[in-house]
Amino acid sequence: MEKKHQIHLIVNGELYDLLVRPNRTLADLIRNDIGLTGTKKGCDQGDCGACTVLANGKVVNSCLVLAVEMDGASVITIEGLQQGHDLHPVQEAFVEKGAIQCGFCTPGMIMTTKALLDENPCPSQADIKHYLEGNLCRCTGYVKIIDAVNKAADLLK
Amino acid sequence: MDNFSIVGKSMPHRDAAEKAKGSVIFASDIHFNDALIGKILRSRIAHALIKKIDISKAINLKGVKAVITAKDIPLIKFSAAPIWADKLILAEKKVRYIGDEIAAVAAVDEETASEAIKLIDVELEELEAVFDPEEAMKPGAPLVHEGVENNISKVLSMECGSVEEGFKEADLILEETFSTQAQSHCPIETHCCIATCSPEDDIHMWVNSQAPHALRQRLAGALGIDAGKIHISLPHVGGGFGSKIDLEPSQALCVLLAKQTGRPVKIENTRHEQFTTTRIRHPTRTRMKFGVKNDGTIVAKQSEVIMDNGAYNSHGPAVIAYNNVMFSTLYKVKNIRYDGRLVYTNKNWGGAFRGYGDPQACFAQECMMDMIAEKLDMDPVELRLKNANEPNEITANAVKISSCGLKESLIEAGRVFEWDSKKSSRKKYRGVGVSAMTYTGGGSKGSGFNYSGATMRMNADGTLHLLAGATDIGQGSSTILTQMAAEIMGVAPETVSLTTSDTDTTPPCMGTFGSRVTFCAGTAVTHAAQGLRQQVLEQASEMLEARVEDLETRDRQVYVKGTQDKAVSFAEIGAAAYYQKEKPLSAVGYYNGPDVGPDFDPSTYKGYPSPTMVFGTNMAEVEVDPTTGKVDVLSFVAAHDLGRAINPMLAEGQIEGGAVQGIGWALMEDLQFENGEILNPNFHDYKMLTIKDIPDIKPLLIEPVDPDGPFGAKGIGECAMVATAPAIVNAIYQAVGIRIKDLPATPEKIFMALKEKEGKKE
Repeated sequence: MEKKHQIHLIVNGELYDLLVRPNRTLADLIRNDIGLTGTKKGCDQGDCGACTVLANGKVVNSCLVLAVEMDGASVITIEGLQQGHDLHPVQEAFVEKGAIQCGFCTPGMIMTTKALLDENPCPSQADIKHYLEGNLCRCTGYVKIIDAVNKAADLLK
Repeated sequence: MDNFSIVGKSMPHRDAAEKAKGSVIFASDIHFNDALIGKILRSRIAHALIKKIDISKAINLKGVKAVITAKDIPLIKFSAAPIWADKLILAEKKVRYIGDEIAAVAAVDEETASEAIKLIDVELEELEAVFDPEEAMKPGAPLVHEGVENNISKVLSMECGSVEEGFKEADLILEETFSTQAQSHCPIETHCCIATCSPEDDIHMWVNSQAPHALRQRLAGALGIDAGKIHISLPHVGGGFGSKIDLEPSQALCVLLAKQTGRPVKIENTRHEQFTTTRIRHPTRTRMKFGVKNDGTIVAKQSEVIMDNGAYNSHGPAVIAYNNVMFSTLYKVKNIRYDGRLVYTNKNWGGAFRGYGDPQACFAQECMMDMIAEKLDMDPVELRLKNANEPNEITANAVKISSCGLKESLIEAGRVFEWDSKKSSRKKYRGVGVSAMTYTGGGSKGSGFNYSGATMRMNADGTLHLLAGATDIGQGSSTILTQMAAEIMGVAPETVSLTTSDTDTTPPCMGTFGSRVTFCAGTAVTHAAQGLRQQVLEQASEMLEARVEDLETRDRQVYVKGTQDKAVSFAEIGAAAYYQKEKPLSAVGYYNGPDVGPDFDPSTYKGYPSPTMVFGTNMAEVEVDPTTGKVDVLSFVAAHDLGRAINPMLAEGQIEGGAVQGIGWALMEDLQFENGEILNPNFHDYKMLTIKDIPDIKPLLIEPVDPDGPFGAKGIGECAMVATAPAIVNAIYQAVGIRIKDLPATPEKIFMALKEKEGKKE
């Protein structure tokens, strides 16, 4: 049995001190060791984007990140977006524009959108499509997701 | 009563905010401290006899709490309907496809469970396998199921009128063969089930099913236990598209492992398992023959279908019947013939998948229509208008059409799409295509049942509670059902609390499929709400000493009409009913229709008993890159006749999602098999559209109010992907003169066809 490693990381502003096996993914750490289940696993292979979180400000598929790599890192998950009881503008836009159906891809889609708008507050349609290409959705056909990203960009101005 | 304040209004899902926060619970999010993880040992060989299973190493591995094989299960076969039963929960004598369940383990963690699976020694004697349905039907072909001659699970044959006579009258006869491929549902959430078993043998399950009440019945049957001992609650479901309707062997195994260990057990599909072991869309081969007059009237049409069932039945026998119904019902044709054969092969079992046999029929039929239009030098839209179904007709295959927006959908789609100008523009490598469709807008009673139930209650404090069996898998049923109830009660929809899909507390609903929930569950909900409203008014009439006819509801109060102060609140009414009358207000609504007519044939589904049919038109504009064969869909219009949109934004969402799933099936989604093995069981190699691939999509809601639907509404969910592929393929033809008859229309196929065409010119 491999030795466990001690890591310290900040998730949504809170410090966590955990013992993890070398092969533990960040996705499993977030969902099982910390208990934040908003981050979803759709494939565990880095193809669908459902597990998207922000690690040190960067968009990552948390199923492809090893927890041990996150020692000293700051991670934001979907649970870290809302401000008290209020929804983050990206969340608000997704709700308003009907961009959410089953909701399973939603946390990942919203995290990627936040990262896009942090980087590029006025994205073109091509920018939006390029940035969100790694987030799969089977319910919506993406149409209202694009509407939501545009709306979120407006709200954030 | 067309002035609604809640019905007909766009609003987000009632739980959209929670979904946006990531706080809704899906099956995989449910955590029990002492839960065991279950894993399944599956066959790696497509067809083999099981000679020996040795579990001794597995059961002795530290952390393994149970290992079960066919010895530990009741040997009761099951299927989507009992009469089609052909599958055991665990294979006993033989395995029939790569993925067939042989054993299951429960262990303290995933790693141990996976290790245990590897330690189970199975001795398989490989048998000759068959992967092609036409090969499978030949004499001497290996039999997938003993005693099933020629591997034919079902034959169906239907004739209306006489096609022989009809073809004699034709000015033009056309005969073509088409094929469609297997498609994978790909819900982003995989199958997941958690089961607990109490010492008194009460089983509780949390499972992402589209049909919890039916699941309970199927499980009880397959496990040989009393359904009353099975309690199913649904967490949120992350999409289904038909993949989550069946009793899955993994769900039954989850229950058995929980029973055996006395601990909660969780079994979750990996994405690989989701691709390789869940149902697929039935591949089909279709030969069609059409006879038309020079003015475009179809005088006779014929379809001969071979449908690849895979290793087990699931919904196959109904899917092929739907393939017949939808082929036969679309267009006014007196002389129709359908011959279908559903054939077993040693591959993944075909199952229910959005459209349920209709996309396959529509693809072939709508390509035929396009070819006919070209031969007759007739506009493809005109050809369809010429033969279009109309309201209040009975088709040659004895299907009752009440409301029908087919003509409106053709015209409106043409207008918004700018069909005439786009068609005549003739830009190089660009083309436009059209297709029409029909499907049921309210499920059907073809299988014997089409039930949905609801209860609506007023609590002692006057608040309202709706309990409905219907399952929301993301399509929005919870939202529109509360909209309907809220409209009737005159309250804001968010004030109606809702419980759904719980077998202990909600009235049964057959499930979310067949585009049936809006109509069937909606009917049950409106009846329940109307019943409750009547009780509320009666209680109020006593308290206000007024006649029921003189009362109206407003702002959670009941007023005497025309007054501002002669009122009694819902709270007072609720309290009076509970504490004074000791009879809480509660009303039940139930739907299970329509009654099957004398023309109904349960094998062919002639006389198909749907409460209402829906129709639609899709139009696509594509651009083909001749150097690569790649097709870009530039714009897409989908006009769907859904009676009345209870929530336009949600209806649009269904149409948009269906269109994208349909474009995937048309152009790139393809489960590739080689000797029964799926070569592309992941999102990287099985191509689904990403956000980058979508065209400009315009959903159009056609609303010929249905006389029988709740608030005039009909279904939309499955319909949305039926007609997509032929619109695209017809557009490809207009663009580059290549007629794709075998889906998907991949760049390779188009490129090779273009090269061949060029070669012929030289």
